[in-house]
Amino acid sequence: MHPSPTTYRSTEVDGKIVVGVADIAVSDDPSGTLVTYALGSCIGVSIYDPVAHVGGLLHFMLPESKINAERAGQSPAMFADTGVPLLFKGAYELGARKERLIIVAAGGAEVLADDGHFKVGSRNRTMLRKLFWKNNILLSADDTGGSISRTMILKMSDGEVTVRSKGKERTLWPT
Amino acid sequence: MADIGQILDKIDRLPALPSSVVRVTDMLTSGATDLGEIEQIVRHDEALSMVILRYANSARYGRPGRMFDLKQSIVRLGGKVLLTIVLEQQASALFVRAGAAYGLRRGALWRGALGGALAADQIARTHDFADKDLCFPCGLLRDVGKLVMDMHFGSEYLSLITKHMRPECTFVECEREAFGFDHAQIGGELAGRWGLPERICKTIRFHHEPPAAAPEHDLLVDIVHAADIICLWAGLAIGYDGLEYKLAPHVRDGLGLDRREAELDVSLTWCRLREIEESMENVLVQEHDS
Repeated sequence: MHPSPTTYRSTEVDGKIVVGVADIAVSDDPSGTLVTYALGSCIGVSIYDPVAHVGGLLHFMLPESKINAERAGQSPAMFADTGVPLLFKGAYELGARKERLIIVAAGGAEVLADDGHFKVGSRNRTMLRKLFWKNNILLSADDTGGSISRTMILKMSDGEVTVRSKGKERTLWPT
Repeated sequence: MADIGQILDKIDRLPALPSSVVRVTDMLTSGATDLGEIEQIVRHDEALSMVILRYANSARYGRPGRMFDLKQSIVRLGGKVLLTIVLEQQASALFVRAGAAYGLRRGALWRGALGGALAADQIARTHDFADKDLCFPCGLLRDVGKLVMDMHFGSEYLSLITKHMRPECTFVECEREAFGFDHAQIGGELAGRWGLPERICKTIRFHHEPPAAAPEHDLLVDIVHAADIICLWAGLAIGYDGLEYKLAPHVRDGLGLDRREAELDVSLTWCRLREIEESMENVLVQEHDS
């Protein structure tokens, strides 16, 4: 396991690396599994290079670090605009290549009847799309929106990404 | 359908707050703080005395080369810090193992409780709320009803509630359809049985559906309601219920809560929670298992 040195808080539970809220982890261990729980309006982003067997998982909470720039320095994985670059950087350091990456996103749910006042999940989704568009990156699969909670799991052996919600699990990638 | 009173009567091992905690909370939140009387109550609770002594003599609150005794420790910490310590320490024991019925992993309900306390405190400070000392206990205990649901329904909870879940229905509405009551109602009732002040019980009871009109309207309930939503956005204690809750428009407008302030509250709450966890050296497994 090669955690990103500035943001590593993940813990290993039952052989799985648990990525917490505002947390990030990258790995080149093909026997490993990265998992993140409690994706509500937060978004989980997984990246995986099937040749290098390098992958990573980010669980960010809010779209833009300017809302709390001081905290963004301490916890960059809290925000999309600081966490996403760190995720990719961590994977590149382990040998991943941008053109081979399989990228999957899950989460971005909303509380009910928001009426456009806050839209935290939607703003998270928009910021992610904006970051990817600017950097010529395409999502391979995603499961976002609604008002449900999601658990996201990345298997490092083959890059399979599954999402679990209300006790039911489905494979997001391969599609 | 079961009756709240019958359920509370039936559960053999009801979660309990030690009477010393209830009495100290009542005293510290009523505004009639008598530190001498608090010392008398605390002195009879060895575990609580130890915690207070440890805090007062810690690197954060203590003074190098000097040991404070219990009375000096209580004075040193002051009412607000004391209340926070008492509740944090005692409530963690209640919450830390509960929540499986809601799909929460061990420790997640406790993180949500503490997050709610911190978010409510944050909102109260932003708005200079006169009764801000009540925000912490109410935020902390708001989901105490989930303990009862957990104990009473256990692993059957999910299958029972799933049949009643419909799009655009809030989770508490679904609970009422499934069980005849929701976790906030039974939590308010439990708090009453513990002997907590009426205003705390009412805040627990209405924290998902705060009354908008006088005479029932209470800014304290509004703040704890908003804090609960802040916790959802911070990813705290989200289980099978997901984000199936609503922020009451009168709370949003009354507090003048806009997107910027909400996101700032989310980040500050999460950071304060992280700091407390680190200071408490609690090894909590985070979040839930969907």
